[in-house]
Amino acid sequence: MKYLILGGMLLFLFPLTVYADYQQDFENEFLTKPWAGVQVEENVCISCHSSEQMKPEFRTIPEEWQASWHAQNNVSCEHCHGGDSKDAALAMSPQRGFLGSPQYKDVPQFCGKCHIAILTNFLESGHGKALMAGKKAPNCVVCHGSHNIRKAGIDIISVQLCTKCHSYERAKVMKQALFLTETRIGELGKKLEELKHEGVYPETDEQSLFSTQAEFRALFHTVDVNLVKDRTGEFTAKLDLIDKNIQNTYSLLKFRKNFSTLLMLTFAGMGFVIFLMTQKKDE
Amino acid sequence: MRIGLDNIIQTQVIDYRIPKNTNIFYTLGFLAVVAYGIQVVTGILLLIYYVPHPDHAFGSVQDIMTKVPYGWLFREMHAVGSNLMITVVMLHMVTVFLMGNYKRPRELTWLGGGLILIITIIFGLSGYLLPWTQLSYWATTIVTSMPTAFPVIGEPISQILRGGDHVTATTLSRFFALHVAILPPIFLALMGVHLFLINRIGISATPFGKIDEEKRPLTEYKRKTYPDGYPYYPTFFQKQMYMMMAYLAVMFFIMTFLPTLFFPSEANIPADPFKTPHAIKPAWYLLAPYQLLRLIPNKFFGIMIQLILIVVFLLWPFLDIQKEKNVLKRPVLRGVFLFLLVMWVVLLFWGRT
Repeated sequence: MKYLILGGMLLFLFPLTVYADYQQDFENEFLTKPWAGVQVEENVCISCHSSEQMKPEFRTIPEEWQASWHAQNNVSCEHCHGGDSKDAALAMSPQRGFLGSPQYKDVPQFCGKCHIAILTNFLESGHGKALMAGKKAPNCVVCHGSHNIRKAGIDIISVQLCTKCHSYERAKVMKQALFLTETRIGELGKKLEELKHEGVYPETDEQSLFSTQAEFRALFHTVDVNLVKDRTGEFTAKLDLIDKNIQNTYSLLKFRKNFSTLLMLTFAGMGFVIFLMTQKKDE
Repeated sequence: MRIGLDNIIQTQVIDYRIPKNTNIFYTLGFLAVVAYGIQVVTGILLLIYYVPHPDHAFGSVQDIMTKVPYGWLFREMHAVGSNLMITVVMLHMVTVFLMGNYKRPRELTWLGGGLILIITIIFGLSGYLLPWTQLSYWATTIVTSMPTAFPVIGEPISQILRGGDHVTATTLSRFFALHVAILPPIFLALMGVHLFLINRIGISATPFGKIDEEKRPLTEYKRKTYPDGYPYYPTFFQKQMYMMMAYLAVMFFIMTFLPTLFFPSEANIPADPFKTPHAIKPAWYLLAPYQLLRLIPNKFFGIMIQLILIVVFLLWPFLDIQKEKNVLKRPVLRGVFLFLLVMWVVLLFWGRT
C-alpha cells in the first residue's frame, strides 16, 4: 500500500517538473491581478501621460491625480475631461466627448458638471460675479487645486491662500461662522465610522450626513457670512437628528454587549460547576 | 420499547467504558459536533431572513443585525462559531495526530476526519461571501483566483467556482447553494461514517501511561473495549459538558470583548467590485496557503506543494507504518510536525501583515 501511494505521488510529481518551466508567463499574469497586491490601471490617459514622450509639465499629472480625493472616489480622467480612456487612438477625440482643459474663466462650469449646487452658489458670490465679469477673481482650482485635489475642509480658508488676493479679515469671519458646524460634521463622521467597526452599517445616517455636509459647503461658496449664520440653525437641527440616531445605536450596542456578557458568564459558571462535579467524582 | 431504545442507552451510554488514560483532548470530537449543531441552528435562523442576491444580501444581513429580534445574536454566533468550529476541528486533528490514534486499524477514521476538516473549511469559505461585504467579496476574489495557479484545469475550476470571469451574482448563488444545500449532506454523511467507524472499531487509548494495547497484529476484526475503564456516563459525559460550556463561554467572550476579531471594518461595508481595498487577504485559516503561494516564485510549484501536503495529510496513516504511537518516542516525526506547525503559524501572521 505504502509503495503504491508513493508511486502515485511520484507520477503526480513528474508532470510538475516538466511543466514548471512554462509557467513564467502565467506567473507574471498571476502577479498583476489586483488581489496579488499590484493594481494595474488600464487607463490610456495615465499610461500616455506617464510615458517619456509626454512633455515634462504634463508628466506629473497621473501621480498628482493618484494621490487626490478624486482618485480615492473613483473619479477618473474621463469624468472631467471626457474622451475615451480605454481607446488610445480615440482617447482625445471630440466624437468621444473629449473636452480638454478649460479656459481659466470656464473652470467653474467644468467642475460644476458634478458639483451643481456649489456652481450655483459660486456664480452668485462675489468671487463668481467678478470672474464672470472678466475681473481678477479666483476659480475653483485656485483654492482646491486641479489634479491634486484634496478632501475639502475649512482649513482651505487660510491666511496663505486668501491673502493672495485680499486681506484675511472677511475670510476669518467666514471661517469662524463655519467652524462649529464643520467640526460637528467631522465628529459625527468619526462616530459613524466607529459604528461600522462595531458591526453596524449606518447607511441612512451616513447619507444624511453627506447631504447635510454637501449642502452646507455649497452654501459657503456664496461667500456670504450672514447667509451662513442665518441658515446654521437649519443644519444644526439636521445634525442633532443624526446625533440622536447614533446615540440610540450606541445604546443598542451596549445592550448587546451586556447580554452577551451575561451569556458568557452563565456558560462559564455552568462549566465551572460541572468541572467541580467531575473533580468530586474523581476523588 | 419497539426499537429497543433502553437497550441502546444501556449498551452505548451506561455500560460503555472508556480507557482510563483518556485526557481532555478526547472531548474535541464531541465539541466539533456541538459546534456544527450550533452552526446548523443559527444558520437556519439566518436563512429565514437572508436574501442571496447582490442587491439585497448586504441589506438583508443588516436587517438581521438591526431589525430582526436577536438577529444580531444569531448572526454573530454563526460568524464567530464558524471560526471556532474550524479551530476545534483543526485541534482535534492535531491531538489525534500527536497521540498516534490514526494508526491501524483507524486509518479510515482519520481519512474521514481529514475530509470533514476540508469540508468545514469549504463551509467557511462559501459562507464568507454570503454577507456580500468588501471583505467577503475581495477575499472570495483571492481564493477563487488561487486555483488559476494550476495549469490547464486551474482556469476552468476558477470559472466554475465564480460562474464567470469575476465574482458576481452567479458566484453568490453558487456559494449559497454550496453552503446550505450541497455541503450539509456531504458533511453529515462523512460525519456518519466517522462516528460509525469510531463506534465500530472502538476508541483508541492514549499512547501515554500503561494502556497501549494496539500493538497486536491485525488479523481479524475486533472491537476495542475497555472493561476496566471508566464509565462513559457520567464520568466522560461531564467532561464533554464542561468543554461544551467552555466553548460557548469562549464564543460569547469573543462576541463581547473582541467583536472586531472576525469583523474588521471591511466586513461592515457593502461589496464594491470597482473599489479594491488596500490590503486584501482571505480568512485566517487560508492565510498560510495564500502566503505560501505569494512567496514561492513559481505559482504552479506553490499550488502543487500544497496539494501534495494535503494528499500526504489525508493518507498519512497509510504512509506511517511504524508501530510506535507515542510521538515523544519519535524524534523525527516530532521535529517534522513542529517545523510544519511553526511554518504554518509564521505564514499565517506573515499573511496578515
